Amino acid sequence: MSNDSTFKTFLVAFLLCVVCSILVCLAALVRIDREAYNKQLEIRRTVLAADGYQDKIAAGGDIDKLFLDNMERKIVDLETGQYTTAVDVATYDQRAALENPELTVKIPAEFDIAGMGRRAKYAAIYVTKDGDVILPIWGAGMWGQMHGYIALKKDGSTVKGFTFYEHAETPGLGAEVDNPRWKAQWPGKQIYDNSGKLAIKVVKNGKYNPNAPDANSTIDGLAGATVTSIHVKEIVRYWFGEHGYAKFLAELKAKRG
Amino acid sequence: MAKAKDALLDPLFNNNPIALQILGICSALAVTNKLSTALTMGIAVTLVTGFSSGAISAIRKHIPTSIRIIVQMTIIATLVIIIDQMLKAYAYEMSKALSVYVGLIITNCIVMGRAEAYAMKNPVGLSFLDGIGNGLGYMLVLLLVGLVRELFGSGKVFGFTVLNPVNDGGWYVTNGLMLLAPSAFFLIGFIIWGLRTWKPELQE
Repeated sequence: MSNDSTFKTFLVAFLLCVVCSILVCLAALVRIDREAYNKQLEIRRTVLAADGYQDKIAAGGDIDKLFLDNMERKIVDLETGQYTTAVDVATYDQRAALENPELTVKIPAEFDIAGMGRRAKYAAIYVTKDGDVILPIWGAGMWGQMHGYIALKKDGSTVKGFTFYEHAETPGLGAEVDNPRWKAQWPGKQIYDNSGKLAIKVVKNGKYNPNAPDANSTIDGLAGATVTSIHVKEIVRYWFGEHGYAKFLAELKAKRG
Repeated sequence: MAKAKDALLDPLFNNNPIALQILGICSALAVTNKLSTALTMGIAVTLVTGFSSGAISAIRKHIPTSIRIIVQMTIIATLVIIIDQMLKAYAYEMSKALSVYVGLIITNCIVMGRAEAYAMKNPVGLSFLDGIGNGLGYMLVLLLVGLVRELFGSGKVFGFTVLNPVNDGGWYVTNGLMLLAPSAFFLIGFIIWGLRTWKPELQE
């Protein structure tokens, strides 16, 4: 049979497609199996790191065990600031919810400083045994979205830790948001001032004055990464503003007395 | 035997795909700011070129000329997808660092070039070695570029601190240019210059 006959051409194309699609399917099956676990592990690692467990993880601590022993997942309705059972606690995926118009609300333009457009109605947060909370935050960075977790003490204002797990900032400049030395500035800072007003801010690198009255709500920005610093500020200020966690944190504080 | 050795080793220096054929530059710019990503990408490309050349050579007598390129692309794409999926499954952090560039191996001219120029005319064993050799040639340049970029850009080699950078409280002021893609252009230029000075017969 001639190699270039129409029949042979179709035959080769068909057989090739069958073989290749079987191989691709097998590979995808393996990946799907592992991906959910990988994503969960990444979230757990970030939540623990935000809450100050990074040394234990670096020392080889079992992430799953540390997480299950210390963290409880809860769903917050951001509208009311209350815990809710409107969605299943175990399976709710806040990032997947963004694709679903019924689970999201449009952010009014005056609030949308982090350039998000829409946000999920419900936030999947983590609560520690002591009552501290670890909250997911995200928004636009310089080159792409930045996703992270911020841990607050149960007073609803003192930062315990802050970590991004996904961003596309410039290596060496904006990507220094991952630098432990920079992140070490966050613990102890106050999100709200004494009168309960949103106070946290990130200033241009070198403009931080440790003696200023608002120093305990001010973070020194990243050197050479002014734009990323501004985005981090906007993300934090959106999420702790009226449209973000403000109601929930007020509730949290009220409950503690 | 000599032929097999040539097929494997020629692409390292005498016919290096990046430095001589000037192919595969795009990914060489994108994934070389750290050695770990450069090495992973190098291994991925080596596996894809090796196995795609081998597979294409195995069925070369049955490939109709009219759909030759499509057949090659399908085989290459299948291998790339398999590697991409395996990285996502077992090296999640690495697959995030490499982002789209693993998928883009499909369009890497080195893979396609070896399939069309070599695997279509040579037996399976030789084609496989030629593919592996070209992958290694690509990896060699990536590692050289990655070494310089990581060392001077972050003060590290494979993530271990060699020059203690100022950002971590050390003394070394990191070179920001090295972290950006254009620096790889200069470095590849230097490599091409160096290679052609060392081996004048490569000059055009």
